[in-house]
Amino acid sequence: MQDNDNLKAKRNLTALVEFSRVINSSLDLNFILNNVLLTCLGKFLATRGIIALNINGKLQIKSYKGISEDKILLFPDIDANEDCTENDDFTKFFTENNLLASEKISSSNECVGIVCLGEKLNKQDYLKDDLDFLKTILNIAASAIQNSLIVEELKLVNRELDSRIQRLSSLFELSKEFGLFSESTKVTRLLIFALIGQFLVQKYALFRFEGNDIEVIEPKLPVEELLKNLRKIDYHRIDTSLNKEQVALLFPSLYGMGIEVIVPMQIQGKTKGLIILGRRINNFDYTDADIEFIFSVGSLAIISMENRRLFREALEKQKMEEELDLAREIQRNLLPQKIPVYKNFDIAAVNVSSKQVGGDYYDIIELDKDDCVVAIADVSGKGVPASLLMANMQAFLQVICRQNVPLDEATGLINDLISKNTADGKFITFFWGILNNIDMTFEYVNAGHNPPLLIRDGKIIKLEIGGMILGVMKTILPYRSEKIQLMKDDVLVMFTDGISEAMNKKSEEFSDEALEKLSLRNGRRFSRNYFKGNTK
Amino acid sequence: MAEFNTSIKNQGAVSIINLKGYLDAHTAPILENNFVDLIEKSCYQIVVDFKDLAYISSAGLGVFMAYIEKIRDSKGDIKLSGMSDKVYNIFDLLGFPLLYEIFKSEDEAVKKFTEIK
Repeated sequence: MQDNDNLKAKRNLTALVEFSRVINSSLDLNFILNNVLLTCLGKFLATRGIIALNINGKLQIKSYKGISEDKILLFPDIDANEDCTENDDFTKFFTENNLLASEKISSSNECVGIVCLGEKLNKQDYLKDDLDFLKTILNIAASAIQNSLIVEELKLVNRELDSRIQRLSSLFELSKEFGLFSESTKVTRLLIFALIGQFLVQKYALFRFEGNDIEVIEPKLPVEELLKNLRKIDYHRIDTSLNKEQVALLFPSLYGMGIEVIVPMQIQGKTKGLIILGRRINNFDYTDADIEFIFSVGSLAIISMENRRLFREALEKQKMEEELDLAREIQRNLLPQKIPVYKNFDIAAVNVSSKQVGGDYYDIIELDKDDCVVAIADVSGKGVPASLLMANMQAFLQVICRQNVPLDEATGLINDLISKNTADGKFITFFWGILNNIDMTFEYVNAGHNPPLLIRDGKIIKLEIGGMILGVMKTILPYRSEKIQLMKDDVLVMFTDGISEAMNKKSEEFSDEALEKLSLRNGRRFSRNYFKGNTK
Repeated sequence: MAEFNTSIKNQGAVSIINLKGYLDAHTAPILENNFVDLIEKSCYQIVVDFKDLAYISSAGLGVFMAYIEKIRDSKGDIKLSGMSDKVYNIFDLLGFPLLYEIFKSEDEAVKKFTEIK
């Protein structure tokens, strides 16, 4: 009897050592659990058994034998640290599956799990000896199970880490590429590739908002239906990413089309577009991290597209400014470069153009050694069209001065020409006259221009005789001219409304009155040197 | 800029695309064109061999997603072979092995097509 017991103990010990060696040789949880369960079943001749492990505080069946899967699914929700024998759900599961013995797997400080075994094949009860032996087996198994659990967790953490690294490098690469591509179609194509590769999606669409327009880019969803459903909602207002539940709740019609994620593409908090993705073909849900990634990539893409647009606009603006500079240069060259000198007159002129290209113009044309035409004009509007019309005007004037036509008639001819050459309501106010150096007369026609001021003996005479402004209609009423006998110390001031309407720093208009006052005070000093310091 | 090129050969009805170098956002259109050409020629049995591929980005992976539906609808498939561990790891992380058959070697992948016949 004694020998028999010794032999039995020795056999048990050998089995335990072998068991310990095997389960500690592996870090594969399934292998270990399988081994533990098989060892228990073999040792106690049991036909069924389960091992449940403590996963985040709850017991979860990780290995089972002799019990069908649908029964296993009914395993109750139990806290790992509570006493199972006092849990009614557990007791119910226990008896329903003909389980007889149970023993916790414990490590030094916590419950690792539990093993439950069914009846023995020989119908004998579990004795104290059996339970002690079971305890010993489980004590040996505990550390192996724990180690493999830790390894599993490490593997998970590692994979998670790999995933994050992959995403980061993806983001990094995309941000680099978005910067390189010159066309927005390439950017969107790249965006799509990155998204469908990352998430295994086959149903998707990109939208870009341009003011009130909505641009659909590379849709792999029925566009008409999508747009119809989108228009029903205030899609401009989507300013946060929506996951599957939110889409289902807020936009059931879109959810019905298989759309699971809607992510806005934003610049500084303003939604400029949407990324719409359908189900992932591996049936995984989009996690928060996934959606965050989509949002980041989308924003990168839209910023890159927006930057490109702004850059193009800046380029165009720059080009336009260069053109304007050129127009200004041409215009400056149209003004007389040299002012003729006469014995009896002192003529001075200046043109200060404001920032834009304007339509102000003056000319001084020598007819012969004693006669000189002085002219001043203001073309309506600003910019290139005004300067073109002004160039026309200058050409007409140069030509007509050589024709020896009386001033009033010539004005009518100019008006006819200008009327023929203008459209959309452009017009020119024009004043011109001929100075005669011998008999000191000035014959002029005023076609709607701010009346020049003739200052004589401290009084102002406004030169208003003429007719209507140029370019409105063909000459019906002939222009009238007036001939004035000039006297010593007379001063004639001709100007455009660029002077009288100019603003000072306080935004006050210079005004006609102020100009008249200034002319009276300084009339004598309006000579060729006067303007040099006073053009501002 | 990273180098990438492809070469295509035929083995029976199976077209084999060999990838070489870096398949990223920049070079993805090259592979895309290969798929478009093959689909145009109704070659739907395609093996993509990764033996000489050093790197693949998610945009590169996107190319596989963009055409697989069309190819499978035409009773064909894209099978992948010869991935380095580094490349396989990226495919694995994104869940591709569930959707694509991945083989150790080009020959095994080609054989799989002929077996089905």
